[in-house]
This record gives sequence, structure tokens and C-alpha cells, in this order.
Amino acid sequence: MSASTMSAPAPAAGRATFVHCLHAEWIKIRTMRSTLAVVLGTVAFGIGLAALGGTAAGDEYPNLSAADRASFDPLAISLRGYLLAQVSLGLLGALVVTSEYGARTIVGTLTAVPRRTRVLAAKAVTLIAVALPVALLICLGGFLVGQSALADAGAPHVALSDPGSLRAVLGGALYLTLAALFGLATGTVIRSTTATVTTLFGVMLIVRGFAPALPGALGDWTVKYWPPIAGGQIVTGYRDPDLLAPWPGLSMMAVCVAVLLIAAFAAFRRRDA
Amino acid sequence: MIEVRGLTKRYGEVLAVDDLTFAVRPGEVTGFLGPNGAGKSTTLRMVLGLDAPTSGTATVGGRPYADHPAPLRAVGALLDAGAVLPGRTARHHLLALAASNGIPRRRVAEVLAEVGLDGVARRRTGTFSLGMRQRLGIAAALLGDPPVLVFDEPLNGLDPEGIVWIRGLMRRMAAEGRAVLMSSHLMSEIELTADHLIVIGRGRLVADTAMRAFIDARSGREVLVRSPQAAALRRMLSAAVQVREDGADGLVVTGLDTAEIGALASAGGVELHELTARQVSLEQAFMDLTRDVVEYHTEHAPDGAKETVR
Ligand SMILES: Nc1ncnc2c1ncn2[C@@H]1O[C@H](COP(=O)(O)OP(=O)(O)OP(=O)(O)O)[C@@H](O)[C@H]1O
Ligand SMILES: [Mg+2]
Repeated sequence: MSASTMSAPAPAAGRATFVHCLHAEWIKIRTMRSTLAVVLGTVAFGIGLAALGGTAAGDEYPNLSAADRASFDPLAISLRGYLLAQVSLGLLGALVVTSEYGARTIVGTLTAVPRRTRVLAAKAVTLIAVALPVALLICLGGFLVGQSALADAGAPHVALSDPGSLRAVLGGALYLTLAALFGLATGTVIRSTTATVTTLFGVMLIVRGFAPALPGALGDWTVKYWPPIAGGQIVTGYRDPDLLAPWPGLSMMAVCVAVLLIAAFAAFRRRDA
Repeated sequence: MIEVRGLTKRYGEVLAVDDLTFAVRPGEVTGFLGPNGAGKSTTLRMVLGLDAPTSGTATVGGRPYADHPAPLRAVGALLDAGAVLPGRTARHHLLALAASNGIPRRRVAEVLAEVGLDGVARRRTGTFSLGMRQRLGIAAALLGDPPVLVFDEPLNGLDPEGIVWIRGLMRRMAAEGRAVLMSSHLMSEIELTADHLIVIGRGRLVADTAMRAFIDARSGREVLVRSPQAAALRRMLSAAVQVREDGADGLVVTGLDTAEIGALASAGGVELHELTARQVSLEQAFMDLTRDVVEYHTEHAPDGAKETVR
């Protein structure tokens, strides 16, 4: 058979666009089994913790000292679920990328869309589309459930219309969305799911636990500026003068995530699949 | 259709691909051969833009893979059949790929039917056997109906029916004018499927030749003759050429072709029952050629490969 006399079928017309890639990533995140597990688990835990925390704090309130009463923070009590939600949404963000390295589907993904910036950007957008509504649900649900538990226990509580409430609920949702992007960026750089989860636990929870024990200035700096600690100020009502205010704190987290994302895009573009 | 020029890939100390230059033409099945670790997969990954070459270039249809407006419509590839998320269904796996290139959804059903997976389209791929995953990978390669197909060991895990099916598929794709590049270690299959061979060893090009020419060049000039008067025939021939016995009634003759032997036998009144030019198998030819470039070898190799290799 002579190859020269035969013309191969020409590639069909049609240019693949960012929207196509977005659609593909949407199908993928939707059909990843862990997505549903993480979403349901996070919502249930966040709202459940607000109910339990509200009841427990309300029961203790009568026995608190005057100083403890002054720093009693109904907002933070109802939104405490963010502590775990940041890790689970961070895990979701990580899985969007690390599941592809784990199962090696990254080969198919990058063969279909060799423009790597496009792939990672589409992953980030679909992640936000999932994480932001979930985060809003957790924060608003936690707030409402937590405040009503506090009210039932006869402890101080706040309404959504009170100063700071909306900031804490919406800002908390933004914080959790940033946490998801934090997971995406970290997962892109690390590639391994387990190593990324370990990192998320370390950065978001363990440092937080150990920071007050760090010596002198290092401890003070960490407690004030460590991005997940600073960012967490967004859900508090009581103001500790040694810590960043809510929005500057959240900005700290946002800058940290932005830097990590830049590193993730650079690594994703440069490295072999 | 696929052009590779001076392609080189270094992983630290390892020179995985070393200044490789070849072309894969349309209308043919090109077998991509080489011992384990020769650099076949690495080469294919560079062609598909997954790994960046240390130096050199690879183009498909005249441009770098990543420059195609809809890559799945330009090249279909199966690199790693195990690469599926176990929790995702076959259908969703393909739907996502199709969506990324703006390929209509109906193609998903079409390719699933083509590879015989339509019955399990909604099953999670984690429950698939190796061969079913292989078929799913082939379905993904066919999604964009591309003019160029690249398969890295597509026969792994396929049952005999599947292997015959792949053979037919490859032949049909080539007959339609597509360029088909396929790596495999199954020489008997390549021998039946490929028109052209590219053989590499230790990252370097060892042979780039038509299949027939490759085998003929290594077949020597042995002719097998069977005759009830083998001894008489042997006396006639051994004066002029080299003859050795092969069983009670067989002779292996080197130095004359079938026509010459036939003429001599006829002139001498010797009855012949068989007269065949001996062909080596692709397997034998391949092993002879690559003996010196095998990266990982067994100490006690089967006959024909007894030499110890570095
Ligand atoms: N990511 C990597 N890092 C380091 N070395 C690598 C990497 N990928 C491949 N290699 C090395 O490059 C060489 C070529 O490997 P490759 O997988 O391309 O061989 P192959 O011809 O496909 O072999 P096989 O027939 O076993 O599939 C091997 O020595 C391998 O160890
Ligand atoms: Mg290989």
C-alpha cells in the first residue's frame, strides 16, 4: 500500500476552548466519589458542631468568671466547625489534582488539554463553584443552629443583623474557599494525596495548637500572622488586641494562597506529567 | 505525520532517549519495538507533550502536539490503560475527555460500542478487568476520530479475541489512511499487524525499515528441502554448497535458492516433498538485532539469546 497516494483524514474543525475544559473539569469533580463524601461530611460536621458547641457553651455560661464572660464569643462558638471544614475542603481541593496523579489520569487529562495553565485554571474555577456554596451553607447553617442553641440555653447570642454577624458568615465562607484553593495549590506541588493531607493538618491545625508554646517573638508572630490563624479571625466577634483584625487577617490568608497558586501554576507548567 | 528529530531525554544520569530521529507515515501500522527500558514510552510521552525533551523536537501533522486546536481530534493516544479513576464510570470518564475537546456526546456511545463496552458503560471502572480497561483506553483514543493513533502496549491484558480485534482495528485504521504507531513486546502480533518497524535500544535508533525487509535481511539464505531420497540429494548438493540434515528426510541448504535446488533435483531425478525458503520469525530477528542493546536480560536466556549481555 502506497502511503503517498492516500490522504489521511484531516482533523475535524473545531477549537477546544477554556469553556470546554471547564465543562470537562465539572464532569470530573462531579463524578469523583470523594466530592460527595467531603461535601456531606463537612456540612454535617460543621452544623452538628455548632449545635453541640452552642448547647455546651450555653450550659457553661452561668458558671463563667466575669473575665471569661467578657470574652464570651457567640459568633466564634457557632462557626467553630470551620476548623475541620478548612481541612476537609482543603482535601477536596487537593484531590482535584492529586487523584489524577494517584490514578495517572493526569496523562489523559493533559493529552486532551496540553495547555496546562488552562487545565489548572479550570480546576480552580470548578473547585470554587463547589466549595463556595458548601462553605456558605456550613457558615450560615452553623450560625443559625449555633445561635439558636445558645438562645435555648439562655446564653448571650447574636442575630444575623447584628454587627459582625454577616461579616463572620460571609467572610468565613470566603476563608473556607481559600482553604480549598490552598489544598489545590499544595496538592499540585506535592502531587501525593497523603502527603498533602498531612501538610494540611500540619499547617492548619497543628501549628495552631503549638503556636502559643513557641518561644517569645516567634510564638507571638506565629499566633498573629500565620495565615490560617490570621484568616480564622474572620469568624470571631471578640477582639483580642494581640491578633489581627478580621479583614486584615483574611487578607493574610488570601495573599498566602495567591503565592501558593502562583507556585502551583509554575510547577504544573514546568514539570513532566 | 509523526516526525521526531534529534529527540533526547535525560533523567539525571539516565539517558532515556538519545538523539532519536524517525517519521511515522500515514496509511501504515508502524511497530515501535525495543527491549524493556529502551525508551519507547518516554519517546511517546514527549511526542504527546507530556514530558519536555532535553533537546530535539517532535511534531504531529507538522506542529508540536500542544499547538493543535483540538488535540484529541488530531491524535488519539493510549499510553497507560490503568489510568482511570476507579470510582468513575466508563461513560463519565469518556464524557469528560470528549467535553474537553468539544467532541459531541454521541461519540462516547459510539466508541463504547466500537470497543464492546456499551453494556458496562455505567459501571465504575474500578470493577473492570485489565482487558476492559485496555478497551476503555482504546475507546478514549478513538473519541476524536483522529488521523494519527499512538498506542503504548495496547495488547497487554487482552484475551485472544481482543488481540485479534486490535489487529483488525489497527489494520482498518491504517487502511483508512491514518498513521498508526504501536509499541508492543508481542513480536508475533507485530509481525501480523505492522507494515513498518522502528526499533530502538538504549534510547537510540537501531532500525527503521519495512517489516518485510527487516525479516528478509535477517533470514539468511536457508532453504528447507524434504525428499524421500534425501541422501541422494545431499550427495548432489554438498559438492557445491553447505547442507545439513534436518530429520530423516530433510535437508537445510545454504547457498542456493529454491529455484536452483528445484532445477538440480529435477535434473537428478529426485522426488521433492517440500521446498521452502526459510524465514526467521520477527521475534528471532528482533532478538538477534537487539542482543547488544538489551538493558535488562535474564542470565539463562532461551536458545538464540545465550550470550551474556552487559
Ligand atoms: N520519570 C523518570 N525518571 C527517571 N527515569 C525514567 C523516568 N521515566 C523513564 N525513565 C527511565 O528511562 C528509560 C526508558 O524508559 P521507558 O519507560 O521509556 O522504556 P520503555 O521502552 O517504554 O520500556 P518498557 O518496554 O519496559 O515499557 C528507563 O531506563 C527508565 O528507567
Ligand atoms: Mg513502556
